[in-house]
This record gives sequence, C-alpha cells and structure tokens, in this order.
Amino acid sequence: MKFLRSVLLSLTVATSALAAGHDFYICAATNRNYVVGSVIVTINGVFRREANGEWTHLGNNDVTVTALSFDPRDHNVFYVAAINGCWRTLDGGKTWRCTTSWDMTELKDLDVDPNAPDHVYIALPDGIAVSPDRGNTWPRLENGLPDRGKYTQTIRVDRTKAGRVLAGCETGIYLTENSAQSWRRVFPTKDTITDLQQSPSDPKLWLAVSQSAGALISRDGGLTWTPLAGPPADKALYNITFDPTNPARFALCSWSVGVMTSEDGGATWVERNAGLPGKKAGFRMDSDPPAHCVWRVGVDPDSGRLYASVIGEALYSSDDFGRTWKNEGLEGSAVNRFVFLPRATK
Amino acid sequence: MKPFFGFLAFALFLAGSAPAQPAFSGPMPVPPPDTRGDTLRRAYLDRVHEVLVWYADTVKPEKPETIGTGQIVAKLALRQDAALVSARIVELMKQPQTGDMFWMFPWAAISYLGRDQLSPEAKAAIRDAWRTYFPLRGDTENHWAMYYSSLYLMSELYPDDPADSWFTGKSSAENRAEAKAYLIHWMDLATTIGQGEFNPTHYIGEYAIPMLYLATWSKDPEMKIRGHMMLDWLMAELADNSLNGVLRGPNARTTEASVVEHWNSLSSFFTWTMFGNTPPPASYGGFGIFFAGAAENYQVPAVIYQVAVDRSQDYVQRDLKRTRRRWRYSDQFMPPIYKTSYMHRDYSVGSYQGGVSDPIQTHVWDVMWAVPDPRGVNNTIYSLHPYASAHTLQTYFTEQPDEMISSLSGQGKPSYDVPDKVLGSSPYERVFQDRDTVIALYDIPAGTAYPRINGFFSKDLIRVTEDKSGWIFAQGGRTYLAYRPLAPYRWEHLLGYKQLPSKSGYKWERTDPGEHGDKLLVSEHLQNGTIVQAASVDEFASFEAFQAAIKALPLEFKLGPVPVVKLTTLRGTRISFTYGQAPVVNGTPLDYSKWKLFEGLYLNAEKGSRKLTITHGQLKRVLDFNTLSITDSVLP
Repeated sequence: MKFLRSVLLSLTVATSALAAGHDFYICAATNRNYVVGSVIVTINGVFRREANGEWTHLGNNDVTVTALSFDPRDHNVFYVAAINGCWRTLDGGKTWRCTTSWDMTELKDLDVDPNAPDHVYIALPDGIAVSPDRGNTWPRLENGLPDRGKYTQTIRVDRTKAGRVLAGCETGIYLTENSAQSWRRVFPTKDTITDLQQSPSDPKLWLAVSQSAGALISRDGGLTWTPLAGPPADKALYNITFDPTNPARFALCSWSVGVMTSEDGGATWVERNAGLPGKKAGFRMDSDPPAHCVWRVGVDPDSGRLYASVIGEALYSSDDFGRTWKNEGLEGSAVNRFVFLPRATK
Repeated sequence: MKPFFGFLAFALFLAGSAPAQPAFSGPMPVPPPDTRGDTLRRAYLDRVHEVLVWYADTVKPEKPETIGTGQIVAKLALRQDAALVSARIVELMKQPQTGDMFWMFPWAAISYLGRDQLSPEAKAAIRDAWRTYFPLRGDTENHWAMYYSSLYLMSELYPDDPADSWFTGKSSAENRAEAKAYLIHWMDLATTIGQGEFNPTHYIGEYAIPMLYLATWSKDPEMKIRGHMMLDWLMAELADNSLNGVLRGPNARTTEASVVEHWNSLSSFFTWTMFGNTPPPASYGGFGIFFAGAAENYQVPAVIYQVAVDRSQDYVQRDLKRTRRRWRYSDQFMPPIYKTSYMHRDYSVGSYQGGVSDPIQTHVWDVMWAVPDPRGVNNTIYSLHPYASAHTLQTYFTEQPDEMISSLSGQGKPSYDVPDKVLGSSPYERVFQDRDTVIALYDIPAGTAYPRINGFFSKDLIRVTEDKSGWIFAQGGRTYLAYRPLAPYRWEHLLGYKQLPSKSGYKWERTDPGEHGDKLLVSEHLQNGTIVQAASVDEFASFEAFQAAIKALPLEFKLGPVPVVKLTTLRGTRISFTYGQAPVVNGTPLDYSKWKLFEGLYLNAEKGSRKLTITHGQLKRVLDFNTLSITDSVLP
C-alpha cells in the first residue's frame, strides 16, 4: 500500500481546491498496456480528490472497476462494480469484501437506492441482481426481462421513489416500480443502452445514450423516450451527464465524437474537442476514421466544471463547458465514474 | 477482454539465458517398446526430472533476479537450497504483486511444495500477499480454473483464517465453498455438454496444472479425485487428438505460430511429458515447470498412453463441445460445437461445423500430416475467412466496441484484424467433414471486412501442382493432398510476425520470408468454398494416380445464391452440402441433435452422462463423475 500511495503522489495534480459543497470521487484505472497476467503495476480503484488537489486512493487495486455507488447514510459504505464482482467497503476503503460469488461476473454498473439504502442494484452481462441487505445476498430479479437480450450495461435508481429503477439493456430501456419484482420494457432498441442519467433539477427528466439509437430524452420519468437530434445514432455513445449548475446544459462523450455538449436542453449539439488530445487512428485503417477516444464525462455540481477522461491519455477539465480544456493529470488513465457526493449528508 | 500471452515472453526470457534443454534440442524421442507400467513410470519421471533440473540450473545464487517462480518451484520440488529460496521469496513479496490468476497458481504450488522447507518468514510473506494483492478472476474459463483452484487450495492450507486475512474479504471457509462450487459447476458443464475451450494448444496448461494441483494437494477427497479425473479427461482428449504427440485442429484457442507449426505449443510439453512421443517446446512451454513441480503425483494411465501412441488403426471421433459464453447478440448462451476428427497414421483431419466458437484464436479445421520431426515444420493445410468484428467481440466480451480491435495487437494477437490472417473463425463459414474429406463453404455478406478466403499453403508442401481441372495437388510427408478452391484465386506470400522489443504490450513487424516461405491462396469472392481430400501415399501407385483418382470423383458445385457442393469422396461417401443447411450424407441429412459427448474408437460418452469411457484393446478406464469413481478393467 505504501507503494501505491507513492505512485499516487506522482499522479497528483495541482488544481484549485474543491468548492465546499461536494466530495469528488472517481472510479478509475491506470491500465495502459495492461492485460491479464501482465507484470505491469497499475493503480486502480476508487480515488477521492482532496482539497489540495491530490488524489487519495481508497482501494481496492482492481484494474476493472467500472462503477461506484455510496450509501447515502454513511459515505464510508460504498460499492464498486468490477470483473470479480461487487466489492463493498464498510470503513471507507480500509477493508473490502467481494460480496458476490462465482455466479455473477463482469459487473457493468451498480446503484444504491437512496430511499431504501439497503437495496443495491447491479447490472450484469446476463441480467440484473438486487441485494436487499447491503450486499449480503444477491438474488437475481429478472421477471419481465427477456431470456436473451438482458445484457445490462447501466442501471439507475429514480431518487424520487424507492424501488423505481431504470435499466439499460441490450434490447432497450426497462423499468421497474416495485424494486425489481417485475420489469417492463419502456423503449426498445437494436443495441445496448450504455448510460442512463436523471436530471438533478427535474426528476422527471432523464437522458440516455446507446450504441444504436443515439441520445434519448424522457420528460416523464423514463416512461417514454424520444431521440435527441445532433448526436450520431450510428456510433456507440458512452455516457451522458447533466450540468447540475445549469439545467439546460448536457454533455455526452464517445470514442468517435469525443465530447459533445448542448446548452439549450438538447435542441442543438456542438463537438467540444479543441484542446483535448488529437484524434487517434481508427482501429481499422482505411475504414474507420480517427477518433477522440473520450471515455467518460462528468460535471462538478459546485462549479459547473466539465471533466472528460480521454482513455489512455489523461483527465481533462473545462471551466467553459468544453470550449477550452486543460490537462488534469492522471496520465494513462480511464475514468469510469465521476461521483460528487453532497458533503452535508456525510 | 484481457487475454494473456505472458508465458511466451517468459519462455523467450528463459531461452535467452538458460542452459541447453536436452529434449528440446535432442533427437526425436521414441516411445519405449516396453510399455510395462514401471518402465513408463520411470521414463515419465525422467522427463519430469529433466524439467526440474533445467530450471534449477538457471539459478545463479549471486544473481537473485535469476530466481523466479519457476526456479523456486524447481528448487523446492528437488528439495534444494531452501534457505536461498526462502530469502528470495521474502524479497519478491516486498515488491508489488502482478499477474492475477497467473500469479495465484505458482504461489499456491510454492506454498504447498514449501510447507516443510520454507522459512516462517517466507511462508508469512506469501500468506500476507493473499490479503493485500487483488488478483483478477478474469473472463475466460481457463482464468477461472486457475483462480478458483488456487484459491481453493490456499484456503485449505489455511483452513480457519478470518475474512480480513484474504483479498476477497471472505473467510477461508467461504473462499473454499465458493471455489468448490464453481469448480464443480465447470466440471459438470464439461462432462455433460462439453468443454468450452476445447483442444487448446496453449491453454491446456491452464487447465491441466490446476487439476494436477487439486489431485495432489486437496485435503477434500471429493476435490482430490475430481482433480485427478479431470486431468485424466484432459489427457485422454489430448491423446486422442494428437498425432505423434502433435495436437491438431480444431482448437478453441491457439496462436498465430501454433496454427501453422502445430508442434510449437504448450500441448507438446504435455504430450512429451505424458507420452514421450514428441520433443517439448522451448523452455518447456514456459508453464511446463509448474506442472513438473507436482508431476510425480500423477501418472497417465496405460489406456490413455496407448490411445496416444498407437496409430495402427484409423479412427473417426465425434465430440460435443460448446462455444465461449455469448453475453449478447445471440439466442443461445453457449451454442454446441460439433467436432469431427479422423486419425490415420500418416495424417489427421479435424473440424467443427463452422461459425464462431471464440471470437479470437479459434481454428476451425485443418489437415495435418505426420513428419519425422515436427520442429519448425508447418505441416498443415486449411482455409478460412479472415473475419474481424467489434460486434462479434462484443458478443463475447462485455466491453465497449471501439477499443477492442485495436488493443488485440498489443495483447499478443497481432493478426486479429489483418486481411491475410491465418487464424480465426468466421460466422460466414460452414464446414462438413467425412473422414479425410473436408468441405468448407463461405457466404460472406457484401460489405464485410476482408471479402476473401485465405488458403494456407505451407512452405513444407512438396509437388504443389495447379491442375487445369481446378484441383491443386500437393504432398506433405506421406500424405497426398487435393485442394479445390471453388472460385478464382491468386497467390500471396504469407508475411510473418517479428516481435519487436517492448517494455509494455506487444509490438510487431511484418516480415516477408520470400519465395521459400508459406503462401496464401487468396480468393476474393463472397460466395466461395474449399474442398480438401487427403490420402496416404500407400493407397496409390504414384502421385499421378492419386491425381487421376481425385479428378475422377463426381463433383458438382455452384456458388449462388448460396454455395452448394455435391461430391462423392475418395471413400465413396456421397455428400450434398448446402451453405446453411444440414449436410446430406448418402441421402440422409445429418442430425446434429444425436451427437454424443464422445463417440469413437477410444473415447465414448453419452451427452449429459458425466461419464467417459476410455478403451484401447483390452484396457478400459471409466471416469464417472456421478459416483466420483475411476474404474479400470481389462477386457476379455
């Protein structure tokens, strides 16, 4: 652990101190050139940004961490989705337990129900499981999901009602209103829904992105969805975010388009890649165009600062919603989640 | 998607600094004529001892960096230098641990081998690493075999430790229960509907080594015998599918090198060790030492030995396997693989029905001919559609689509996305095999990347003759070969891959071996096909007579709207094969639903039975996972 911390110091970036309202966590991997069995030492897991701009590694050093969610009652309790399963810490990262067993693997997402915080929902490549007891047990609750086509990339709990959850699957967006006792498809797609987000200002407003249907918006709590003009529908979009400081501002990212933003509630979109690393060559020469390779975007609810993780490059930030960018360090990283926790509830 | 090829680098590292390997560089081994048990046992232990001594001799006490996990295993197995090894372990454990499940099994072996040799400090250092290091479980069945076998054994070694002493955050009992449940689940799949990573050229080690460890060290009698039985099962399949110690296709997983030079793989370490009928690969395949460290606790049974070395009788074997897990884009989670093999003393032919079994590294069919010495010989012929697709990768891997293809090259799979690849499967290939005839049909949708068929023509073929009939005739060893492309073609040099020095990931350079290297038959037509017929030189008075016989075979084919071939084979079988339909053999459509788990001369099992019967001559062994019993008998 001493070694990890010393390496982390080298990842430290000098930035202004965070505003007082939220703690800033990321779920990230510095896995450039990593493969299973690799002798490369990588630093991964959950990091918290301190007031002086340094990142504190909270563990665990798992290269595959994909998502992070906190118990709103106690921020020392949080859950991490990873290839090994659902890791849980009850003491702020000092100790960890892989709460799932061999029958659940390669978790893609998870979310704690803020109105029923013992309930944790996990998105699996072969469905959905829900823990009713803080991760001690994990029954699969898939009634209403198809036998095939339930690959689940993203899962998000509606903060306004316990047990109301949206899931982004291979075959569309599914909704439960009874804590996953039953699911129904509210929007069909040809390919995977990759992200779902609820507006911090209007709980009825939701955004989604996908591999085949572009970006989507719902104004009725996820019951109906319509495509947003602008973002491409023929390329995978990775994630989308609201700006908590400005209800009209959205940002999304993908490998192909980099960062796109809208400042008029999704009516129009602009690519915002000037200042990010140059495009990388397409994966297949002669047929795939160069790409910006942006992995994740998030917005600081205190400052409106937009963050973008460029995979294998670094973390970037923008104080003008993507018009200019600056390098924030974390060289070689991929950030899988930006999480801003209200400090007052701690 | 996080595959692993680190052992190749490991082998290269050793090859550069190690003493000569007797068996690797020596003459071709010959299985002893005396097949009595004690003779075979002595020869087996001699081979194991060679591995241990070779590794131990790479140690230079004044250079601690020469003592890695392989050397530690060797020293402990030979019961040498416990103090030196203990000190080195303490040093190694102070460094960050890497390697995930590939880290776990060597250290599990070292923990067991060192129980009565290592210092308390060394033991404590290893034990603590299982608390502080977070190895990944991985995403393949071979990863999980290593992960859970290692975790199981370590939690048996420390049976009552609390949750906070393990990286999983689970107690010894919890780890043990989870690991046991998974391992039984995997064995259940393999013994009812077939293995996922079947006939792997390299990953066989990732299964055989953990099974040996369970058989050797498990305290639980159930896991001990399960390990032994699965190891028998793996070795029986290896014996049945190898010719003179060389494993041929099809393979769920293989490599760019092994797919053409079949001998050059870890599987040859196992055939050498078990059967003594081929040389081992360089550095004993890298992982060989980890088998050798516990190998004295195993002996391949006589019936499996005989299956491996006796090629006096031709045989057909049909097996049931399954694909890798399909997370999405498929109606089935693990669709069945129907595998056919034909073995002759001069050559072997193997295939499955086509389609994608694993998105990377799958080899669907080939003919392999026997050679006096397989080292450096590319003794095979086959064709494929060079397919690469992010969508297909996403079927099997749970990752975003864009990065995967580009990252494969850096992960040791340089040919995944190149048009001249000679390794891989395609959803647009359908294959049917009847004994030593293979028909491969292709129906490639317009717009698919790389609309071409690659036929592999080895540098080691002789008498390659393009006949005006459309057949291409050749000879490999004592095998005559007839290859019929169904559409026009051209020739390319097959470029090689030279690995460049790199401290991170893999870097490659393409190299042209020139006129004397391997060649590709390239046919750039979307509807396409290949027919290959093999025969022994003993069957014909001359090469010309073979050609005449082939040209006389009744053959009709058309390529549109889908490819169709009607052929009467050299063996008199009437085949009608239409792309996308069940092959019709002598007027009867093939019913794959009746395929057994194993059906052949030596290996037999009913689907779902959990029971494999291995026979050779009067010898018989039954591996029954229902009763967890091994039953040997001598037939009247």
